[in-house]
Amino acid sequence: MIDHDVLVIGAGLAGMRAALAASESGVDVAVISKVHPVRSHSNAAQGGINAALTDRGDPWEDHAFDTIKGSDYLADQNAVEVMCSEAGREVIAMEHMGVIFSRDDEGRLGTRAFGGQRQARTFFVADFTGQALLHVLYEQVLKVGVRTYEEWFVLSLIVEEGQCRGAIVMEIRTGDIHVIRAKAVILATGGLGRVFEPSTNALICTGDGMALAYREGVSLMDMEMVQYHPTTLKSNGALMSEGARGEGAYLINSDGERFMERYAPNMMELASRDVVSRSEQTEILEGRGVDGCVFLDCRHLGEKVINEKLSQISDLARDFANVDMSKQPVPIRPGMHYQMGGIKTDVDGCTSMRGLYAAGETACVSVHGGNRLGANSLLDTLVFGRRSGEHAANFARGVVERALNDGLIDRENRGIQAMMDRAGEGELFGSIRLDMGRTMNERLAVFRDDEGMRDAVSKLTELRNRFDSVAVTDKGKTFNTNLLFTLELGFMLDCAEAIALSGLERKESRGAHFRTDMPERDDKNWLKHILVSRGADGPIIENTPVIITQWEPQERKY
Amino acid sequence: MEVTLSVKRFDPDSDQHSSYNQDYVVEMEESATVLDGLIKVREEVDGTLALRCSCRSAICGSCAMRVNGQARLACNTKLVDIVDSGKVVVEPAGNMEVVKDLVVDFSPFWDKVRDVKPWLDPEGPDPDPDQEYLASNEAMLDLAGVMACIMCGACVSDCTVLEVDPNFLGPAALAKAYRFVADPRDSDDEPRLSDLNEYGGMWDCTRCMQCVEVCPKGVDPMGRIMSLRDKAMATGYTSTYGARHSMAFTNGVRQEGRVDELSLPVLSKGVFNIVEQIKMIPLGIRAQLAGKRPPILPHKNPGQENVRRIFNRLDKHDNSPDRLEIPTAIIGLASPVVLTFVAIIAFLILQFYWNSESVSGLKPDAYQSGSVEPFTRFSYFHNCFWFYCDPETSGSELVVNSNAEAER
Amino acid sequence: MKYAFYPGCVSRGAAPELYDATVEVCSRLGIELEYDSMSGASCTGAGILQEKNLKLGDTLNARTFALAEKTGLPLMTICSTCQGVMSQANDRLKSDPEYLAEINKSLADEGLEYKGTADPRHLLWVLIEDVGIEKVKSLVVKPMTGFKAAPFYGCYIVRPSSALGFEENPDRQDSLEQVIEAVGAEVVDFPGKTLCCGFPIVMINEKNAVKMVANHTTDAKDLGADAMVTPCPLCHLNLDGYQPQAASMAKRPIDLPILHLPQMLGLAMGINPKDMRLNGHMVSTKKMLTKVAVSP
Repeated sequence: MIDHDVLVIGAGLAGMRAALAASESGVDVAVISKVHPVRSHSNAAQGGINAALTDRGDPWEDHAFDTIKGSDYLADQNAVEVMCSEAGREVIAMEHMGVIFSRDDEGRLGTRAFGGQRQARTFFVADFTGQALLHVLYEQVLKVGVRTYEEWFVLSLIVEEGQCRGAIVMEIRTGDIHVIRAKAVILATGGLGRVFEPSTNALICTGDGMALAYREGVSLMDMEMVQYHPTTLKSNGALMSEGARGEGAYLINSDGERFMERYAPNMMELASRDVVSRSEQTEILEGRGVDGCVFLDCRHLGEKVINEKLSQISDLARDFANVDMSKQPVPIRPGMHYQMGGIKTDVDGCTSMRGLYAAGETACVSVHGGNRLGANSLLDTLVFGRRSGEHAANFARGVVERALNDGLIDRENRGIQAMMDRAGEGELFGSIRLDMGRTMNERLAVFRDDEGMRDAVSKLTELRNRFDSVAVTDKGKTFNTNLLFTLELGFMLDCAEAIALSGLERKESRGAHFRTDMPERDDKNWLKHILVSRGADGPIIENTPVIITQWEPQERKY
Repeated sequence: MEVTLSVKRFDPDSDQHSSYNQDYVVEMEESATVLDGLIKVREEVDGTLALRCSCRSAICGSCAMRVNGQARLACNTKLVDIVDSGKVVVEPAGNMEVVKDLVVDFSPFWDKVRDVKPWLDPEGPDPDPDQEYLASNEAMLDLAGVMACIMCGACVSDCTVLEVDPNFLGPAALAKAYRFVADPRDSDDEPRLSDLNEYGGMWDCTRCMQCVEVCPKGVDPMGRIMSLRDKAMATGYTSTYGARHSMAFTNGVRQEGRVDELSLPVLSKGVFNIVEQIKMIPLGIRAQLAGKRPPILPHKNPGQENVRRIFNRLDKHDNSPDRLEIPTAIIGLASPVVLTFVAIIAFLILQFYWNSESVSGLKPDAYQSGSVEPFTRFSYFHNCFWFYCDPETSGSELVVNSNAEAER
Repeated sequence: MKYAFYPGCVSRGAAPELYDATVEVCSRLGIELEYDSMSGASCTGAGILQEKNLKLGDTLNARTFALAEKTGLPLMTICSTCQGVMSQANDRLKSDPEYLAEINKSLADEGLEYKGTADPRHLLWVLIEDVGIEKVKSLVVKPMTGFKAAPFYGCYIVRPSSALGFEENPDRQDSLEQVIEAVGAEVVDFPGKTLCCGFPIVMINEKNAVKMVANHTTDAKDLGADAMVTPCPLCHLNLDGYQPQAASMAKRPIDLPILHLPQMLGLAMGINPKDMRLNGHMVSTKKMLTKVAVSP
């Protein structure tokens, strides 16, 4: 058995920030990740990280308001206040660790404009900010000597007497199963994009943490809030950064019209993502699209801007849409991008279970509410990663070590062996995942309605039955990805269930959750979060009011 | 389009202990990548195929492998661009041990990254939590080129030095080291450069450009290694073979406009490095005997004063025009004289060693008649003797002269 | 066909046989070489000078290009390393007019200006692109039938591909194989043909350099090669000169002659081996010549 004070599951920005903070608090920390830390999906964040530097004339309250308005007033305002007031120091702390943020003429940090905000307060490193932050955090983890278990996969959490005591894990390279005992566990496993097909997310984004917690009866919150990014490519779902619109690109329909004039006359293309995605989908549905797409038009920006500032997406357009961005508009459409919801936590990362913490996309504090602003996700991971690391370290100090129940490994081994022993003729995980992804993308996308979501729920039940007889064809122990994907599919089906049930529950339109059968926001009845957890007899749906501090809900116009 | 993916497979758990190629025929769209093809195989055809992949957009660095013999990211390599008569050959990345199929063991890779102490080490007390370090945007942009590295290992896979010497830090770790040496906020440049100056460090790169060619992110690892060398020499680390070689070479071009092949090895090893100088003697003898004799007196190109003017204008480290001129001339003269002298002595010794029969057996007529000479351990000495005995060859000075005429 | 000839340092120094063979072969191919105007051209820097001072390297090469421009002739090299370093420099100079203007300031002192029109090309490329492979075939009087030649390019004539015009001239990528086939020989394809010979580190880490020699020569030998052919004199120096050490490192005989590209052409064209100083190699070419001579 392996022993640590604090076990962090996931080595993206939230996980490594948490590990660093816990380590600085003087406890023994380990990070476990199913991929090497620098392979984590935090890499993919291109545009930047928001922070209002109050002492430089951008009060953090303005950032908080933009965030809350962006969330369609579903964000908990106390949490947003924490995030926005601590943002400046967090960004500067990362700079001190070595992040090569872009500079202004005086050598101080420089900013760029991003969607849904009235100020340019996005700090950035070219068009790979997430990668630049992730690699620096990995450097720091090496520096302080935090133990990392790379390519280890978590099978389940160890919960005894209502408290999280560690995790049962599989070493991918050998297939061996181990118990890691810990006084506190922090889930930082990222998003669940692969529940949808297509998605901008990496193949590793399978909602492991949310499902691990959900299975132990921990509450998930705001799961119905799934962000569709306005600009993704049709062919492979690749993301075309919001940076393009930040630099002044237009969105046009088949008539060549800048249709955002009709939906967001002030902010135009830089309105919040839910608004832009919905506008695009409306254009497409009303017949002003081409092949299910509208267009991102960069022609007027000129080759210089395209080559210097948008080189990465220009390459993507060339490779995967056969389009030269400087000469033709790029066909794009809304694509699944981010899960605002997740494991319900407080501002210190505490979940509804003692000893279990969560941070980053897998958590829901909730700072994003119904819709996340671009460049707020990196900030969320760092601020709440750090806070949960600090709190977990303190908590761990007060925990008395106790022996764990016997037979934990046997239990997991039996489950896996059952899967491995199933005859090879059974269905493979691939087709089930594809059916799930397409169902979710059809029924829980930009526009939803009661009938569609009900259909999704029943389809998911059917898929779960199919999953129960899924076959693992690779019978080996070494690097058995076939087994791994099958286990991940089990996690994803749990997440899909939580999303569909929460969606059905919210009987209004708010943020990313837009119901064609109930198109209005209803603050009177639904200014509250939906919680879903798994009880002995199936899912339990509850709700809790939104925390309002200083910003009363208003009509949302861009 | 129909594509055959020929995948090199290896499964340590199976009875088959060596790797083998397995062909998968898949129907793919025109825009599909190698990774799309492999995922299709894995999900629909053969679930046992193991590979690493994640982001599908060339940012996570998981899917570096050899495609048609060259390291690439499977996710940004379009099938249509590389398919060769319907086939694409996919193998695991090189220079790393195969774990299973296309999955290789990255531990040595990460160990080397860790070896360069890859973290910022700023000087002074803890900084003000509300104030960033000041740095120019230009410096940050230069570093952005290196920070774009996604640690995919493509450069390590195809590095020609790692192929012969696993001890070499390799392009990825050295580029990472450069990232800190070049960071104006880092205060550890000297110890870093000192470490990198050691065996296995910056000077072991052959500048073969493999890493530049295969890097999917334009990091230019070799260019970074060259910058490290420049910084090391500028910092005063000038006593390594590499630094001496670089400086002697440059000085030769400054003085004569061309490489001074006689003084270069002597200066690279160090004039007073007797052991190494002696070790070079056999090669010197062979060269002399083969007629590979560069001009003994350093031969200045016509119009060399123009080249020297350019040096004076642009050579930032060395503006003392004639600093090494005298040693070069002396060594240029001395080394061939010494080597020729040693050659003659060696020849005389060997003449005693080989009896006259064995020498006569190597006469030109034997060669002309086409008789095949059996291999002996000393075959190159045989060749030397043969050349030496061959009246045609012994007139090689004449050839040099006619050569010089041709030049004129 | 006339070219401003840039022979490079090594053919004027440690590999004089390359120079002789080139002169002989070019006269048969109908290639005229302009020597005098180029005699003041300096070394390209070989990548070594560039590691210290890229701008200095680019200036020296711009000077060479300007000298060639003055002759009004295309520029020809016989060294892969020179070719690569020149191509890279030219790429930088041509793609950035401001940089070129700045570089030209240093050339102005001797009344030179590089206008950006030079296109340095190796003899190997000239054979394919200007002479034509058919013409080469037509000049073969002693087809090297049954002779097995392993091509060895030298790094800088294959990398970085972006600077070497492979997109416009895809034939360059297998030019050496084309020439080997044109003289009637058989190509021995082996994994090391585009890898490093080890020469640049032979003074720095001799063990690694010799190991590279051992790997390449034994691989080619095991595949039946009678000789290795290279357009790079530096590769020749290492593969030839350090082959005895490589043999003792590999604990086996190797004896693989390393021919310069024009030497192989010359043999097929019936030029006397001694005129190309085939006896001036460290690894004997004797057995190999026997094989060529006895072939029909």
